[in-house]
Amino acid sequence: MTDRRAVASVPGYDDATIAALQDVLAAEHAAVWAYTLAIAFLPADEADQARADAEAHRKLRAALEATVSQLGERPVAAQPAYTTPQPVVDAESAGALAEAAETDTMVAWRSVMQRTTTRDVRAGALETLAASTVRCSRWRAAVGSAPAIPAFPGQ
Amino acid sequence: MRDLHPGPTRRQVLAALLLAPAAVAGLGACSLGAKPQVDPLVALADQARADAALAAAAAAAQPDLAARLEPLRAARTEHAAALDAEVARQDPDAPPPGPAPTPGPQVTLGALREALQASGRSAGEVALDVPTDRVGLVASVAACCAAYAAVLA
Repeated sequence: MTDRRAVASVPGYDDATIAALQDVLAAEHAAVWAYTLAIAFLPADEADQARADAEAHRKLRAALEATVSQLGERPVAAQPAYTTPQPVVDAESAGALAEAAETDTMVAWRSVMQRTTTRDVRAGALETLAASTVRCSRWRAAVGSAPAIPAFPGQ
Repeated sequence: MRDLHPGPTRRQVLAALLLAPAAVAGLGACSLGAKPQVDPLVALADQARADAALAAAAAAAQPDLAARLEPLRAARTEHAAALDAEVARQDPDAPPPGPAPTPGPQVTLGALREALQASGRSAGEVALDVPTDRVGLVASVAACCAAYAAVLA
């Protein structure tokens, strides 16, 4: 673990910002897990989409882990398993799990914006919120949640 | 002008965080010190009204798209109302919002997409600097606009 004091002076990365990044990292861990489970139940075309979405979350997770480490904190680890909103038994419940995972990450990224005033962190969080909104809209459309794009993503 | 170039440690950190392509929060150009007199949410509310009118006009011009465009029109109408309410909360004496401009008769999907991209960029830039109690609203508006712009192919 890096010495916290060595990097504690990085401007803009106060404790609240770091805590927000840890929370969104936890949500990204859960999203990767959720997609891994969902893929097994999805038809081929949706499974391909789920693999692409999972890869996006893996990249975010890696970026967050690197950032948190560079700030001198130990990145939060993934849980061995997570509870799902409903049992995942078929394509529909798998799609609903993907929707739930994206929704949770949207909430977490929006929360990052509310817990920091650092422009660069806000810019990254906003881009990610928008990308997650697009991913979520595909799963919402697939499972029939309307509107596919919520008026207030992450709220 | 302030020094806008962070030190190497910070840049290293940001390079790791900022993986996503620059879609929403565009330029982030230097904002000079002086506080604007006008609430920046007023312009965002006006854009929301204009986009709602544009979406309605596009749906009227192409009825087969109406079902697809209605959620967008509804969302931009909700954005205008929420932004108006936040402007009024901050300053009860703020002048009431004006009417939306009337779009021309032939609004294309491309024109609508460009308007949404511009609205997403505006809201994204405002979201970088607003206080924490307003940023959630502005960020959601920006993300919603960017997402609609992305899916309106």
